[in-house]
Amino acid sequence: MATRGASVRRVMTSDHAVGWAFASPAVLLIIVFGLIPIVWSALLSFQKTNLLSPAHWVGLANYRALPKDPYFEQSMVHSAIYTVLFVPFSVAGGLLTAIALNRPVRGIRIYRTAVFVPVVVSTIATVIIFLWVFDPNFGLANWLLGKVGLGPFAFFTSSNGALYSIVAMTVWGWIGFNVIVYLAALQGIPRELVEAAEIDGAGTLGIFRNVTLPLLGPVTLFLVVWSSINALQLFDEVYLATNGGPGTATYVPVFYLYKLAFQQAEAGYAAAIAYVLFAVILVLTVVQLLVGRRMVHYSG
Amino acid sequence: MKRLWLVVPLVLVVIASACSTSSNGASVTASGSVTGQVNLTMWMGYTPPPPVNQSQEYLSIVDMVNRFEAAHPNIHIDLQYVNSDNALQKSTVALQGGKQPDISYQYGTNMPQLATAPKLVDLTQRVQDPSFDWNDFFEGERAVATVDGRVLGIPALVDNLAIVYNKDLFAKAAVPTPTPDWTWDDVRAAAKATTDPANKVFGLVFPADASETMVWQFEAMLWEAGGDILNADSTQAAFNSPAGVRAATMLQQMQQDGSLYLDFHPDSGAYTNLFNSGKIGMLITGPWDLSAFPDVNYGVVQMPSFDPGGSHITIAGPDNWVIFDNGADRVEASWEFLQFMASPENVLKDSLATSHLPTRASVEQMPGFSAFDKAYPGVGVFAQNLANVTKARPQVTQYPEVSSFLGLALVSILQGQASPQDALNQAADQANGVLAVPT
Repeated sequence: MATRGASVRRVMTSDHAVGWAFASPAVLLIIVFGLIPIVWSALLSFQKTNLLSPAHWVGLANYRALPKDPYFEQSMVHSAIYTVLFVPFSVAGGLLTAIALNRPVRGIRIYRTAVFVPVVVSTIATVIIFLWVFDPNFGLANWLLGKVGLGPFAFFTSSNGALYSIVAMTVWGWIGFNVIVYLAALQGIPRELVEAAEIDGAGTLGIFRNVTLPLLGPVTLFLVVWSSINALQLFDEVYLATNGGPGTATYVPVFYLYKLAFQQAEAGYAAAIAYVLFAVILVLTVVQLLVGRRMVHYSG
Repeated sequence: MKRLWLVVPLVLVVIASACSTSSNGASVTASGSVTGQVNLTMWMGYTPPPPVNQSQEYLSIVDMVNRFEAAHPNIHIDLQYVNSDNALQKSTVALQGGKQPDISYQYGTNMPQLATAPKLVDLTQRVQDPSFDWNDFFEGERAVATVDGRVLGIPALVDNLAIVYNKDLFAKAAVPTPTPDWTWDDVRAAAKATTDPANKVFGLVFPADASETMVWQFEAMLWEAGGDILNADSTQAAFNSPAGVRAATMLQQMQQDGSLYLDFHPDSGAYTNLFNSGKIGMLITGPWDLSAFPDVNYGVVQMPSFDPGGSHITIAGPDNWVIFDNGADRVEASWEFLQFMASPENVLKDSLATSHLPTRASVEQMPGFSAFDKAYPGVGVFAQNLANVTKARPQVTQYPEVSSFLGLALVSILQGQASPQDALNQAADQANGVLAVPT
């Protein structure tokens, strides 16, 4: 029978304690930058506060006001449209590009690097380039489209087109990441499986459908979940390219809550939006994982 | 999609609240003067100290601090750079942790929010001292420094809107030189005449980003048409009046004429490049832009009226110095310095060094002032235009929300999605909604 002192000593000297010691800086960062803000914003969502003067507790009033807020509704609708477009385009586009880049072509490293460059370019640089290209009066896009008799288009400054312009810009900016992930997965497909299919008489398309695609299942599920979370949290590109405009045409939830919290001093209401968005992302991710688990098999 | 920086300020609040402030041994005598050593912290948004480029504004303020410290050896002022766009946000964080500066530069539109902070020092009694001559400051400045009858700031900088036009484009289109008694119909005609679609030349640039930059230009027009933003006790929207519709219709008509260049990114300053390269006939702006137009033969004229002989009222965006409470001795020393900075002699010195408009009316009568317009062409019109600053935006905490609704309404009008009356009515309903909520 071990004494209490002995068991403490065992814990202190065990691998367990050493492990925690190594992890402690990261744990501390997660608590300070993750846990505390999460708890604090939960409290904020039940308050009316501008962060300057003492807050009032308002119970569920912030959450009750949400269904009546037309701007909140618009931001959710825009976010849904954006996600439905961004995720398929960036994932399917990433796959097609990866297949194109998975061949022994001269200078392939240059092409692969070129596709990945937009991912490492800072958002502000991307946005400035697109504002310039998409400028309705002086932009390159309208000049080129004009050459083939199209346009002019207003792009970011059109109420109907601004959201789609954001989709185009972000797909361009993020597709490189999906390409790299798919490339790695493609190169991990066992050569003998492809050869076996060839011997059985499968054509290129048949191999792709019955061998490549199923083996890419886990990666595709990861990319769909990851892109959806990112799409629902869209902020930088909207803030910089359109500032939510024209009018409210590109309001999305994170942009709207930023505007409320930091420009209109409604921190409590903004925190409530953040929590609703969190719930939406949580539900969507769980659904995607449940559906995905049925369709994806992990055995190679 | 990287949003960590949204979280960081909130976390800093928590960290800052764990720290505490300390006080030194100085004290205030019965007469109000400070004894003992006092160290003040002052936030200002002029260029950061070397090695970053030192602007004239920064050098002027350093000069004032040096002269003040020489005259008050027991007071030391530590200047810290805080971008003025972030001053409210940073003050909010600092106040949460008790780390507020003694003096801070703040935009006038921040004042209603700041007024809710218990640590903001009420200056009402102090400015009443006859030697300070509070009424020498322009009416529009005093209105912005005052919230609910309490004076909470001292004017730091004042500007106003007027119309800057390209003289060469006007001459090419045979448009007569604008005179101070011009009307919005004249502006519309001039804009139409100078517009040249083939060469992508536009008569007037107007912001279209629904921001305060857009809204305050419209508010000047609204006042010129005889309207107002809110009713007298700031409980109801008033911008959907016939005057508001008249002002909005003027913009709508110019847009339909094809004369407007809608600027969706006025914050980027790209419009200054367009004006500088002769693509823009007119723009509504303040004295701060004049130095950006070295390549244009430009003129400056006050805002037009809607009816001949009508009001040429303009809007000002006065910024303030405010004092936060860090103990009586530091408040007293801060007030000493603000009095020093706001004295007519130092206001004149600062104007000549920086091209800032004088914050005090009496400075324009001082003998040294004639050098001002010679040093900065066109700035004299803006200085005279201060007399047209007779109103301020409503001093209520809900103003940023009201402005946002109004901005969105104006964008929908300019994009042809709604009639002026419908769009303004909708914005007024929304504004009334937030104005009805007690703060």
